[in-house]
Amino acid sequence: MTMSLTKPAMRGLLAKRLRFHLPIAFGLSLIAAIAFKYAVTEPRNKAYADFYKQYDATKEFNAMKEAGIFESVRPSGE
Amino acid sequence: MFSAVLRAGFRSLSRTRANHTAPLAVRCYSHAEVETDEEFDSRWVTYFSKPDLDAWELRKGMNTLIGYDLVPEPKIIDSALRACRRLNDLASAIRILEAVRDKSGPHKEIYPYVIQELSPTLQELGISTPEELGIDKV
Repeated sequence: MTMSLTKPAMRGLLAKRLRFHLPIAFGLSLIAAIAFKYAVTEPRNKAYADFYKQYDATKEFNAMKEAGIFESVRPSGE
Repeated sequence: MFSAVLRAGFRSLSRTRANHTAPLAVRCYSHAEVETDEEFDSRWVTYFSKPDLDAWELRKGMNTLIGYDLVPEPKIIDSALRACRRLNDLASAIRILEAVRDKSGPHKEIYPYVIQELSPTLQELGISTPEELGIDKV
């Protein structure tokens, strides 16, 4: 084999690993959260906002009324 | 004991390079005394050198030692193996060697070094390594 082995580092190995990996872990998590916010929740919220921007509640109510789904108010025909 | 664990833990977290023998500057902890690596090692060598150490104290010592963020120095392991000899506990002696290998984790150069340093003791006490017994592979 080789000459006698030199003494390797034996202390603080986990600390060294964490010092390297934890910032990466937090960073990636943060990026994942930001990416989700802008790729998923923002389009969803925008879709809701766009839907309700031109929403006419009265028109929708009358359409539902004519469809006969309400009990308290019947379609204009009956 | 708990404060020693805390100190060892904090010291390990603040250390940028292993085998740093000088005490760290006071940084992220109180103005309590910082134990040097040498003091830590000799404390543990003394612990296992107690002539009337009982089996419970051996197990307790080893389990505490394994909990630290370090691979025990060969001199600590030597002291523990001699305690096993006094207690006629070959099984624990071999288990200690397995524990050293496990504590090294991905750093495969540590275990051969420790075995190299311990080989006179292993010979003297007649302790086989897990590799010699063929129990190192699953």
